[in-house]
Amino acid sequence: MEHSVGYMLGLLVGVLVGVGIIALLFKLKVMDLTFDERQERARGQAYKYGFWTLLSCLLLYGFSDMILGRWCDVITGAMLCVAAALLVFASVCIVKDAYLSLKENPRAVMTLLTVVSILNLGIGIMNWKNGRVVENGILTFAAVNGICGLMTLVILVVYVVNYLLAKREDGE
Amino acid sequence: MKNLRLKSARAALDMSQQQLADAVGVSRQTINAIEKGDYNPTIKLCLAICKTLGKTLDELFWEE
Repeated sequence: MEHSVGYMLGLLVGVLVGVGIIALLFKLKVMDLTFDERQERARGQAYKYGFWTLLSCLLLYGFSDMILGRWCDVITGAMLCVAAALLVFASVCIVKDAYLSLKENPRAVMTLLTVVSILNLGIGIMNWKNGRVVENGILTFAAVNGICGLMTLVILVVYVVNYLLAKREDGE
Repeated sequence: MKNLRLKSARAALDMSQQQLADAVGVSRQTINAIEKGDYNPTIKLCLAICKTLGKTLDELFWEE
């Protein structure tokens, strides 16, 4: 799918504005990602698993492209690999109780994940219905919303299951 | 190995895991992991816990 220069510039500006807002929230101390020593260590292990997942997925994607021919846009393939790595990183963090920083509220994080999942899956379904996800047998950039929505949904499910299990363990 | 001495010292001061965690600047899960013996804290965290509970390192963390 071809996009105009304006579309690409708009996308770039959107990303830059997003990064700017997040940086501002950190500067104003609205967002505070302080982890304790056990969490830092656990997150280090999670990064390691995420890193190897990313390398493996990129290799798999490269080989599949060589063997099967072009089956998806390069940026969509890259997003698939990134999503898989993020999923592994987040899941390991959640299981090791290192996903939330010291000042984060579990309910707020669950709400945010739910909203992000619903929004992305909604856009993904709309794109699917409009026939923009697969064009000429190739997975297009329009599939990225669905991929992100699915990824955040799985992270949410892992988080909720871990949260309920931990709550039950505390009650015993 | 479970750290029952830490648990009993905390309970003697009628502190919850969350209260001790807040006092030493870690998460409740970290205190839980130390008490269960799943995590070996750094000397820095050991000292912070000892100061908060009014105990020495030997009393809480020395294995006999």
